[in-house]
Amino acid sequence: MNTLLTLGIDVGSNFIKAVLMECGTTKSVILDKHTEKIRKRNPAQLADEMTTHLLEKHNFQYDDLAYLASTGEGDLVIRKRGHFYGMTTHSRGAVYFDSTAKTVVDLGALYVRAIRVNPQAKVLDYKMTGQCASGSGQFLENISRYLGLSIDEVGDISLRSTKPEVSSGICAVLAETDVINMVSRGITTPDIIKGIHLSIANRIIKLLSALKAESPVFLTGGMALNKGLIQAIQESLQETKKNFIIKTNPDAIYAGAIGAALWGAYRYHKLKQGKVMAKVVA
Amino acid sequence: MKNLTQISEECRKQAFDLNYFGAKKWKSAQKGRVLVGYLPIYFPREIVEAMNGIAVGILGVGDQKQVIKGDAFYQSYICHLPRGVIELALDNNFNDFDGFIFPSICDCVRNLSGMFRITKTGKFSKYLDFPQNFNPLTGGVFYRQELGSVQQEICRINGVLPSVKILNEKIEKYNQNRRFIENIYAIRQEFPWRLSAVDWYCIQRAGLMMTVEEHNAILSDVQTLLEENQGEPLDNIRVVVSGSFCEQPPLGLIKSIEMAGCYIVDDDFILGSRWIQGDIDSKSNDPMNAIVNAYLTQSTFSSALYDVGNPKGARLVELVKNRKADGVIFCAASFCDPALLDRPEMQKSCDEAGIHHINFQFHENTGQFKVIKEQCGTFSDSIKLWA
Repeated sequence: MNTLLTLGIDVGSNFIKAVLMECGTTKSVILDKHTEKIRKRNPAQLADEMTTHLLEKHNFQYDDLAYLASTGEGDLVIRKRGHFYGMTTHSRGAVYFDSTAKTVVDLGALYVRAIRVNPQAKVLDYKMTGQCASGSGQFLENISRYLGLSIDEVGDISLRSTKPEVSSGICAVLAETDVINMVSRGITTPDIIKGIHLSIANRIIKLLSALKAESPVFLTGGMALNKGLIQAIQESLQETKKNFIIKTNPDAIYAGAIGAALWGAYRYHKLKQGKVMAKVVA
Repeated sequence: MKNLTQISEECRKQAFDLNYFGAKKWKSAQKGRVLVGYLPIYFPREIVEAMNGIAVGILGVGDQKQVIKGDAFYQSYICHLPRGVIELALDNNFNDFDGFIFPSICDCVRNLSGMFRITKTGKFSKYLDFPQNFNPLTGGVFYRQELGSVQQEICRINGVLPSVKILNEKIEKYNQNRRFIENIYAIRQEFPWRLSAVDWYCIQRAGLMMTVEEHNAILSDVQTLLEENQGEPLDNIRVVVSGSFCEQPPLGLIKSIEMAGCYIVDDDFILGSRWIQGDIDSKSNDPMNAIVNAYLTQSTFSSALYDVGNPKGARLVELVKNRKADGVIFCAASFCDPALLDRPEMQKSCDEAGIHHINFQFHENTGQFKVIKEQCGTFSDSIKLWA
């Protein structure tokens, strides 16, 4: 059998993402994927239930897995074989989606991270947002909740903006105060949301500049599907005269889990090879 | 027999007891017993135990106590350990302690010995100068005199005279202690998933708060339990942690290193318990001479030891190879001059031997480990995927 069954689990601060993959030497395919919002549930138990769910759905046993890889808060994945750091897995996931990607931007719930990669998805350099969460998915979700919106609709609403009102891009607390002021000043919801998107976009562009990023730039993580944010990034790039091609994928939220599953397969082969080598030496 | 979780939990409580209840209880159980506190790294504890006492390891306050008064005693560029220790002294946590030994490791610890004298903490405060000359006729004679003065101080308190028979017995108990510790390190080298580095650290550290007999009983149980097959290995890298021999890293830091995908297969956290490599002659007519000779000829490598004949960089490389480790994490306390000044030389030795390494610094009360976890996580990934 030339293919390996691997499972990658990405435990984020809001969501757990799991991907079941069949990894071959030349091609790897996603057999199934599953996301759960953690809410107030026990993340460790939830991650385990998701593992069982995906395996049972495809009539597999745990022992059929060549490698169960975790990423994110990996200590919460009980039955894992190994853990990979988020930056490593998002890079691999991005290159899986687009083999030409030279820069990966992981738009996570708590931070944004820009990573320079080579064609093998090796991390060459990275920059990430600092302590403040004003450029993160969690911040966007909080604001949308204050405005009575669901996170899924903020992208489309942002596209309806005509006169965006930019908020603080440095501090989440100041930005939230800005939003309260905007509401009291009668600024429309699309303009507020677009302003926040532009603020986040500016932080991303600053990261790309600091990183000396190369095009194409692939967006991963929960915010990568936000049409309003992508539009804001494109506009900010035009404004700053930066010529980056921005790419993403409908499954970009799974990039971390996919990367973990693929690296898991790689490690399985490497460990097997190591054992053979050890036997030969012995 | 208790299980590993129970043992490590009990050891954790004892190891981090800043009131030293266990040791004080032991002292109060019989008249004439003495408690002698000692600072890192090494002190031959058998000498105190042979004179009806316990040498209690004092390793700072960690993140358990807010240091306020201690900060007034030290400048901002001094490490955290002595601030916490003087805070304990001023808060009377060392009541019932009879004396204190300050091994010569750095200026801060030397100054601390003076502060203990000024604050009249304990009946004696001894700054113990270790020889940097390893000729038995010079360094050996000097070291013996230094240890002799400690014996005199204890004798003044409880009137117990050193006995060859009892000292030999205690030397043998400490030989057993070191053998247990080395055996457990050897088991963890092969099967690091059987006992976490945090649990192992607590078990070792608890030994500094009790008699060697009590600790040997615990270690014997731990060794037996570890010999049983248990748990599943993770696909982690194996690392040696170097530089934390004095101020101790917080448990969260050790846990973060492991959670980031690194099995710690060797370290210098509780280095004093492993200072002497191998056994000390326990059948000698002159056991003090045996202890002195062991220091001169069987000491491990450390930043506190003059090592021109046997450089520590080369010994670290040897340790990494023996432990089959994938890399070294240089993890020193902020402002720890001995560790930080040695680091470049040790890194150079690692580079020459093709050993991967990273470095960071900590305070004993560091509470945020995100950056450290990130560094260790990327270190682990880079070795697993690209080495």
